[in-house]
Amino acid sequence: MSEVIVITSGKGGVGKTTTTANLGAGLSQADKKVVVVDTDLGLRNLDVVMGMENRIVYNLVDVIDGNCRLKQALIRDNRFPSLYLLPSAQTKDKTAVSPEQMRKLVDDMREDFDYILIDCPAGIEQGFHNAIAGADRAIVVTTPEVSAIRDADRIIGLLEVEGIRKTDLIINRLRIDMIKHGDMMTVDDVTEILAVHLLGVIPDDEQVVIATNQGEPLNASDGLAGNAYQNICKRLLGEEIPIRDYCKSESFLSKMSLFFKRN
Amino acid sequence: MSVPSVTIAKNRLRTLIIADRMHCTPDMTEKFTKDVYLAVSKYIEISPEDFHLTVNRSDIRITFTGERA
Repeated sequence: MSEVIVITSGKGGVGKTTTTANLGAGLSQADKKVVVVDTDLGLRNLDVVMGMENRIVYNLVDVIDGNCRLKQALIRDNRFPSLYLLPSAQTKDKTAVSPEQMRKLVDDMREDFDYILIDCPAGIEQGFHNAIAGADRAIVVTTPEVSAIRDADRIIGLLEVEGIRKTDLIINRLRIDMIKHGDMMTVDDVTEILAVHLLGVIPDDEQVVIATNQGEPLNASDGLAGNAYQNICKRLLGEEIPIRDYCKSESFLSKMSLFFKRN
Repeated sequence: MSVPSVTIAKNRLRTLIIADRMHCTPDMTEKFTKDVYLAVSKYIEISPEDFHLTVNRSDIRITFTGERA
């Protein structure tokens, strides 16, 4: 029996797809069977971030329309044998899929996977409702900026109304230098306003762009973002890891040296 | 010494979030707070410093004793 998690945000470009890809990779490295599902009809990106854009034969709409079996559409990741991608369609028709159809598709996949990660498109229209249709819980991704937080609050409200019982927050693209200059909100500022459980904090990291350029996931040792994603995976798996305070550079250094000693 | 941009951001965001949660415009939230204060003050002795209005996603909390929950 699997856990179905929708990764959403409201605002576009805050890191849903990157988060979905990296959590998928991380959970599969922990020997879990994972499928990541791209539900952004017309603007598919999960395949690109994962470097699997050349291997798409069938997509989400094909499966729902019955043009192919689910197994034919699932693409196995060559790097992580227990990670699969169900890509979206590049169709312009955003109404090609209904929430009911998504729910049935998700239920059909529950038997075969430990985790189903659903990459939600930006916005609050049908794409959003499709993505949350089969979900047990949600991860809301935001950045520490006014527009993103505002949209995240709206999304959290909608998730509550739609009956999603568990919602967690990831704060992405934290810039410690800007916080120190008083030009960016802190983690506490954001969590105080949004009032949801904080699952993780990911600092702004060039490695994310580099990884996407290459179509590779981040490694845990690849810098701050990679390490943060790994910690989030561990928390999802039940390990209690405190959220790192990136603004305290001293304790960060000692934690990093602890990290290397342990490994 | 100019105000840090984050302070402006936090103030704007707090007003925006309340307005969104109440489905009204940002300037109406101030009028709302004032009206509620006036209504409460008709029945309970309160001072403006002790009065706090918190708008959550599903409820509105009024504290009037100066204690923060």
